[in-house]
Amino acid sequence: MSGRAVRLRHALIVVWTIAMIIFVYLPSVSIALASLTSSRYFIFPITRWGLDWWRKTLDSLEIHRILETSIVIAAVVTVVAIVLAFFGALAFARYDWKGRAWYQKVILLPIFFPQSVLGLALLLWFNAMGLQLSWQTAVFAHLVWIVPVVTLVISIQVYSFDPALEEAAYDLGASRLQVLREITIPVLMPGIFSGGLFAFLLSWGNFPLSLFTTGADTTVPEYLYAKMVAGYTPGVPVLGTIATVGAIVVLIGGYLVMLLLNRRRQAGAEETNEGEDHAHVA
Amino acid sequence: MVGRDGVILFLKGLTKTFAGRPAVDAVDLEILEGELFTIVGPSGSGKTTLLRMLAGMETPTAGDIVLRGERINDIPANRRPTCMVFQSLALFPHKEVGANIEFSMKIRGIDAATRKRRALELMKLLRLPEAYYGRAVTRISGGERQRVALARALAYEPEILFFDEPLSALDYKLRKTLEKELKDIHRETGKTFVYITHSLEEAMVMSDRIGVMRDGKLVQIGTPQEIYVAPNSKFVSEFIGDVNIFPVRVTGPGKLVSGEVPGEIAGPPVSDGLHEGYLVVRPEFLRFLAKPEDADNHVVGRVYNEYALGSRIQYHVRAGELTFVLEKLRHEAFEGSLDQEVTIGWDAANSIVVPDR
Amino acid sequence: MSASGFRISAGGRSALPVLALLLIGFAVPLATVIGFSLMPARTFGLSHPPTFENYISIYESTTYISLLWSLGLAAATVVILILISYPVAYGLVRVFGRWSTLITLLFVIPLFVSENVRLYGWLLFFIKNGVLLGTLKSLFGVEWDSILFTKGIVLFGMVYVHIPYMLFPLTLGISMVPEETREAAFDLGASRWQVFREVELPLSLPGLIIGCLLTFVLAVGAIAESKVLGGQVVIPIAHDIEIAFTYAQNWPLGAALSVLLMLIVGVLVLLALRRFDLDRFLGRR
Repeated sequence: MSGRAVRLRHALIVVWTIAMIIFVYLPSVSIALASLTSSRYFIFPITRWGLDWWRKTLDSLEIHRILETSIVIAAVVTVVAIVLAFFGALAFARYDWKGRAWYQKVILLPIFFPQSVLGLALLLWFNAMGLQLSWQTAVFAHLVWIVPVVTLVISIQVYSFDPALEEAAYDLGASRLQVLREITIPVLMPGIFSGGLFAFLLSWGNFPLSLFTTGADTTVPEYLYAKMVAGYTPGVPVLGTIATVGAIVVLIGGYLVMLLLNRRRQAGAEETNEGEDHAHVA
Repeated sequence: MVGRDGVILFLKGLTKTFAGRPAVDAVDLEILEGELFTIVGPSGSGKTTLLRMLAGMETPTAGDIVLRGERINDIPANRRPTCMVFQSLALFPHKEVGANIEFSMKIRGIDAATRKRRALELMKLLRLPEAYYGRAVTRISGGERQRVALARALAYEPEILFFDEPLSALDYKLRKTLEKELKDIHRETGKTFVYITHSLEEAMVMSDRIGVMRDGKLVQIGTPQEIYVAPNSKFVSEFIGDVNIFPVRVTGPGKLVSGEVPGEIAGPPVSDGLHEGYLVVRPEFLRFLAKPEDADNHVVGRVYNEYALGSRIQYHVRAGELTFVLEKLRHEAFEGSLDQEVTIGWDAANSIVVPDR
Repeated sequence: MSASGFRISAGGRSALPVLALLLIGFAVPLATVIGFSLMPARTFGLSHPPTFENYISIYESTTYISLLWSLGLAAATVVILILISYPVAYGLVRVFGRWSTLITLLFVIPLFVSENVRLYGWLLFFIKNGVLLGTLKSLFGVEWDSILFTKGIVLFGMVYVHIPYMLFPLTLGISMVPEETREAAFDLGASRWQVFREVELPLSLPGLIIGCLLTFVLAVGAIAESKVLGGQVVIPIAHDIEIAFTYAQNWPLGAALSVLLMLIVGVLVLLALRRFDLDRFLGRR
């Protein structure tokens, strides 16, 4: 572990990571740049800069409808996923019950599964049952994949939940419902919040499941895809950037909210200093 | 003082700063070959940082570490002739007992048969059953894991063994047993052990010499006897445990006054230049007196409570604002009752005055 | 917990909603697919007598080639991702310190942007007169052919899209190697490489396995990469299934292809997760 070799290795790791970050964001930057041209075609370097396409896209009614569809689906998925996954997480990490080991593995199955195949399977099943495909079937499809993910996210928080807190509340006379409302949910709130954030964002950005199960309705990723393969439209980079920036804003906003809540919790808990050990002073 | 007889490890001005603050502050120390030296101190005193510098896990900010006359500051941990037993033991969970012990030998390319022989020898020395050789380290008890960690370190055949509070995670009974076993193994192997702990009691049991550490500095070095009988400061006095201590001023040779105790106090000889400080009387030197004249100093108070401590009983006697702590062996127990008025006292020769440090 | 008689424990009751969802939304559709795979070709109900003709036709036609391509590309994706993600994962655990949270966040964000949007950016980057070629042309006067619509670019896209799915499990795995255990190995004389081989690699294996499994399983179903970047040069198996369900109107064939894929995925998942202690991996202290 000689100092110089270690420092060199660490420097290389830093450089590689920066390169990876650039690699990851390069396409998004390209799209953002492409959205800023006012010409009809994409030729780089951009000669005619302008926000014309931004204006056109934000004014378009069709785009509004599509954004609305995506948001509604994501919102419904978030609410339902939180409720189901909350209890699912308790079953995963809190209670010791007979089927728990089996249950933990079963939860993972929709996650370790090729999404497009899941979407196609649901498509087949919906068709076989004669169901009309719409944003509602898409919500259901999203849930099948997202609820397990959110369950895992909340479970991570539940692992550090001290069961003695609930037991103490019972001991002090609370009913089951009161314990849930006063103790369990508030204490697990950070995990629930992260889970909700995950649910919203995963639904918002989902492509394979939406592609096969929305039917006549269209989400933002689907619309973009249709436009992409049809030929170049400058509106696509604009909407793509909106979708990307929207996700980033929600994620960072959610993260900041969590930091704030965390800081307030800690401030409340840090009232007492550590006591010093006093020898037996006469 | 390079090469002085008996000194195996020599530290000079050893310092480590983190973000401008010194965790270890210009420490000078000589460790003698073959001794069991313990560094004791409260959490945050810098003892772990010091040990890690000696083992090679941290680089010193300043100062020298000299092993047998050679400066080893720049030698990395895997090439120092030293080995550490970690606080968490750091056993390799994916290897069995035998493989853990043999690790350093495997690294050096020693053949399997020789490794196994040596491992079994060490297991025997550390009283581990031979059947454990192939057992997973996760399936043996806490005390046994300690021994595996020690065997693994000994297999490296280091010049010095470092111990980072290895017993602090164990329960009381196990700790007491292992303290003594470690001391036995030290005697049997004859190697130099440098041990750190926050428990002075543990240090007293095991060590040849002790260094008391506070805020990055070594404040006193001596044998357990010296530390116990002649602490050099208020800090060290209180660190040892229950003690009677109150502020005094020196008014003349052998004469002290205190705001806490009425009248003049007959005191021990005090070093020049020490005009005020604290008087320290150990609990076993306080006595119940039939009459005040039975001791050099006496105080009147009431017995507030008594505490059974195994072979001894501890009494708390309240006199005014002070609570005095006395300890008696069981067969010399105090015959009276609680809240009874008593006279207690001590002799000047059994007390010591320490500076306020 | 549970009293006498038939009472479901608290854990069982909590699990019911999720299990119900998975039953209706996962188990039943997949069973339906299996059922359809055994129906005669180009039929649309489950009332016909079962037959294996779809599986036979997959073997006899060249459709299984796209299955092999998908498997091969997915495997290549996994290998490449291990190599390029490992340094980053190592950095997140042992090098970046306070910056780790921020850097993790940066790598998390792409998870929430749909993959076709991200791939589109590469399209704009690599296309004729796009960011790369356009810059080269205007700065150096060089005119190169676009590398789009090749098998290589499809692999490139797959690697790109699946970075988070390898990175995060790998990071979790590396973080499971206790620092003191590493130090102990050094202390006992091991060189850097020996510490890696004897301690770090074995102890981070669970994370590595999860990362490989997750990446492979998701990559095998990849469809957007070839559609956006690759044109028709490679038809992955998911695309074949889609064609069977939609244009070709041959549900049973699509179902049979799906079943093959499910079998492969299912076997891998079962093998890898069989001896996994999820409690220890996810955080029970």
